[in-house]
Amino acid sequence: MSRIGIAPVVRAPAGAAAPRREQLVLGVIGTLAFLLIWEVAARFDLINPVVVSNPSRIAAAFVTQLRSGEILGDLEVSLIEFAAGFGLSLVVGIGLGIAMGLNRLTEYALDPFVWFLYSSPLIAFYPLIIVWLGFGFATVVAITFLLSFVSIVVNTVAGVHGVDPQLIRAVRAFGGTRLDVIRKVILPAAVPLIIAGMRIGLGRALHGVVLGEMFSSNAGLGYRITFYAAHLRTADVFVPLVILVVIGLLINQLGNALEARLQAWRT
Amino acid sequence: MSVAAQAPAGDGVNWGSLTRHRSARTVVGSMAVALFLIVWQIVGGEEIIRSDLISTPSEVVETLVQMTASGELGSNLAVSLQEFILGFLPAIAVGIAAGTAFALSRRLHYLFEPLIVALNTSPIIAFVPIVVVWFGVGTQSKAIMVFLAAVIPIVINTMTGIGQVHESWIRACRAFGASKPQVIVKAILPGTLPSVMVGVRLAVGRAVVGLIAAEMYVSVHGIGRLIQVYSTSDRAAEIFVLVIVVATFGFLLVTLLRRIESLIAPWSLEQ
Repeated sequence: MSRIGIAPVVRAPAGAAAPRREQLVLGVIGTLAFLLIWEVAARFDLINPVVVSNPSRIAAAFVTQLRSGEILGDLEVSLIEFAAGFGLSLVVGIGLGIAMGLNRLTEYALDPFVWFLYSSPLIAFYPLIIVWLGFGFATVVAITFLLSFVSIVVNTVAGVHGVDPQLIRAVRAFGGTRLDVIRKVILPAAVPLIIAGMRIGLGRALHGVVLGEMFSSNAGLGYRITFYAAHLRTADVFVPLVILVVIGLLINQLGNALEARLQAWRT
Repeated sequence: MSVAAQAPAGDGVNWGSLTRHRSARTVVGSMAVALFLIVWQIVGGEEIIRSDLISTPSEVVETLVQMTASGELGSNLAVSLQEFILGFLPAIAVGIAAGTAFALSRRLHYLFEPLIVALNTSPIIAFVPIVVVWFGVGTQSKAIMVFLAAVIPIVINTMTGIGQVHESWIRACRAFGASKPQVIVKAILPGTLPSVMVGVRLAVGRAVVGLIAAEMYVSVHGIGRLIQVYSTSDRAAEIFVLVIVVATFGFLLVTLLRRIESLIAPWSLEQ
């Protein structure tokens, strides 16, 4: 690793436990300081506590919303939409990716469309989906799917292209069918890149759920955010918002764990 | 932070294998696109599917010309562009400054790490309503959304970029008697720039989404506003025009950035 005369950015391999603890302690201190400054500023009216809200009001709103159970219902709706949209992306993304990876004609033909969907801000497509599917569940799932499936396609294609052709020939030579080749050679070899694509896809799928719910739904965490914001109930806005931030963090942790697992399995 | 580790490699997607066999690719790809447009024209034109739902390519082009001529596109695009610049330039300045500070002091980085990770992994558009409540329905809230969406990838990539400067470059400078400022100007800055530019390009994509979402949520002008208006109008042609405009907007910005990059840091595109 590079040492450039100024403080090293990369964690030292030796005695890694000590910086880890430092990282944790400083992280907690930083977060608490942030919340404390916010709270104090609101208490002393440096910022308007009604409009800006403060941590203690948000905590109280959390308790109220949990008691009434309403927020749990929204969480459930969001999770179901997330699972449906992302599940669909996995199936279509991996399927299409393998088809494009194995067949050059398919790949060349679909390439411009995949490229367009990948590079354009898909948020612009949202009115079209509303026109086609109306408000509600189907639209949210469709937007979630649209946002997340392209990164899975692109990475699956790259994964399939990375397969050693000798392995495919070997399976064919011993009488394996095309399906055997896909199951025994291509899928296992492409898994690392597919998982990398899934990581990106998971984050984008969460974006899709929030986007769909904010603009075309009457349930879910995204809807709840806009609902409370429209009623200027700032403290209440933070409850679904914080839950979404936590979901984002959990998804990231899940991705880290998957990749670490994979690393252990490959070496 | 594994986000930092993977970010400089681009967006984590491997396009490498897609660039072989260029000519066959171009021919088959253009034929597929042409076929798609022809089928679309026939299906929409013959009302096999209601044309107000899918429109036709010719109608989309006509609408594009019409919306451009009436100034509807231009005036709204100007507003969006202004909001974008107002948020994006500060994001570059703050992002590079903060990223440098975090690279220089590990403790400072640890203090802010939870905040950075949380902002990086959470769906940024969920912040739109609260930003609007805090900063109003005008230009300010849009610029803040652009800033929030753009600043994080720039911070992270600046930080990792500084960490990845080749040690040998610095030693070489030192060996030839370079002073500390000279080391920074001759080795660290050029070594960091490619990674920073990757961060800026990632930031463009996020910032466009943040801006459009904020304009869709509440605004008087802007491309996002147009999208919101036409989403309730059952006018597919206008929606397709806006899709094209937004896609082009993002594409032009990224192309412009690549141009700037090749001017100020030609070595970075070789990597």
